[in-house]
Amino acid sequence: MNFWFSIFRQTGRNLRQTWTTQFMTCLTVSLSVLIFSFFYLIYLNILNAGNKVTDDLRLVVYLDEEPGPEMQKQLRLKISQFDQVQEIKFISREEAYSRFAEQLGDNRDVLTDMPTDFLPASIEVIPLKTLRSLSQIKLFSEYLATLPGSQKVQYGQNWVERFYYFTQLLSIVVLLSGVLLILTATFMVASTIRLTIFARQEELELLKLVGATNNYIRTPFLLEGILQGLIGSLLGLTSLYILFQWITRHFSGAGFLDLFTFTFFPPGIIATIILLSIVLCTAGSYTSMQKFLRI
Amino acid sequence: MTEAAASQTAMIEIIKVGKSYPPNVTALTDISVSIASGEIFFLIGRSGAGKTTLLKLLCNMEKPTNGLIEVAGMNIHQVTGNKLAKLRQRVGMAYQDFRLLTDRTVAENIAISMEVSYKKNQIIRNRVRSLLAQLQLEDKHDILTGDLSRGEQQRVAIARAVANSPALILVDEPTGNLDATSTEQVMELLIRCRNSGATIVIATHDEALYRHSTHRIMKLHNGRLDSLTRGDGQGQPNTAGATDDTGATGGSGDGI
Repeated sequence: MNFWFSIFRQTGRNLRQTWTTQFMTCLTVSLSVLIFSFFYLIYLNILNAGNKVTDDLRLVVYLDEEPGPEMQKQLRLKISQFDQVQEIKFISREEAYSRFAEQLGDNRDVLTDMPTDFLPASIEVIPLKTLRSLSQIKLFSEYLATLPGSQKVQYGQNWVERFYYFTQLLSIVVLLSGVLLILTATFMVASTIRLTIFARQEELELLKLVGATNNYIRTPFLLEGILQGLIGSLLGLTSLYILFQWITRHFSGAGFLDLFTFTFFPPGIIATIILLSIVLCTAGSYTSMQKFLRI
Repeated sequence: MTEAAASQTAMIEIIKVGKSYPPNVTALTDISVSIASGEIFFLIGRSGAGKTTLLKLLCNMEKPTNGLIEVAGMNIHQVTGNKLAKLRQRVGMAYQDFRLLTDRTVAENIAISMEVSYKKNQIIRNRVRSLLAQLQLEDKHDILTGDLSRGEQQRVAIARAVANSPALILVDEPTGNLDATSTEQVMELLIRCRNSGATIVIATHDEALYRHSTHRIMKLHNGRLDSLTRGDGQGQPNTAGATDDTGATGGSGDGI
């Protein structure tokens, strides 16, 4: 009889004897995984949506006067001195007018009596993709406001700020639910294993006396921890997937979900959540076992 | 036999061993004896004399307060981890309170000592059947030990102690619940184990067990060594010929 055969038989025996406790632990682990991954999924999707929106981020510097070619050269130099940018585009008053007219579409008649130079000239600055944080954008905008002839800088401040604070709040929720997952899963598995050890103390003592090695006694409990982590996380993720399918089926076609594509976790993240759950549950099991083996 | 040769063949060396329990209970005081490999050794004395305590020290269930115990040349109380596990696999102990797993079958209880040393399934099955046959418990193979009588439980405990063919077998009151026939079967089994090379230490206060034996008998009284004698096979202990603590003159007769 080899080591692993004995271990699997012991594990099967443990599971049979304490299946109700094991089942409840599995449910708790899966609930923890579900809570955490639910918030994490929302967070990731909002971050994705935010990335798409900020891909279109541009800062518009309205100017007092239309700059000549020499001035344009100097302004371009000044802007590049702050940071590298993806693109700098000068918009003349006429171009601004024609863009506005285009945006008005069928309502362009309202512009009939207006002069074609009533809109200010501007510079459109498209920052590099690396410029993502709110403070960086603010700093850049403040710098652009100091450019000679600059009247006002706009980049959808309100929207960007609100979005930024929302993602901050969500990241705190994800972090808290992550900590909750760690505490709940570890604690639950540790106490289940402790209960199992208590229920089988007589047998474990006997095993020690007849010469079972610590690994022989410990490994079945570690396997239980691994199984609880694996089954618990699979259950949690499957429930989340079903919930995700239900939401996308019932809320697609209209409403805010149309603004961005709602996607499930990529395989890498699924594997990480499962692995994390397994590691935590095994750690819970290991600590309980160490206490017993130290006696 | 020289001292060196004697110590080479000694399975157990007990040197000035004492054991106390808090707050101030002294279970054993200054016990010194050497038990040779392949010897059958009786440990006698009234209840509370310290027999079970000495057996517990020998199988490393407890540590002595002072003194040294060596089994197969190893100080068993300094061995830890896997080495201790390996050592325990070579020591079979039948406990006075049996320590059977009452929710497991007779076969599973006996097999447990072989499973921990990863014996093959076929070997375990054969050994279990053979032991049950020797103790006339064949029909109890699949019965839960909790459903057995005390006498049957006692025999299962002894079968488990000898199952893994250990080099040292410690038996605590092996015949307390047995009738004459079962006692004879148990003793025959122990003698077969001795013939295969095992050292056997039997703690008992059943005089019938050792009265006609030719083995050494150590009597404990209030935790102290009272006498160390050798049975003459006639029911009269021969004090003069057995007080050598080397154990080199291990018993040769199989008489009970």
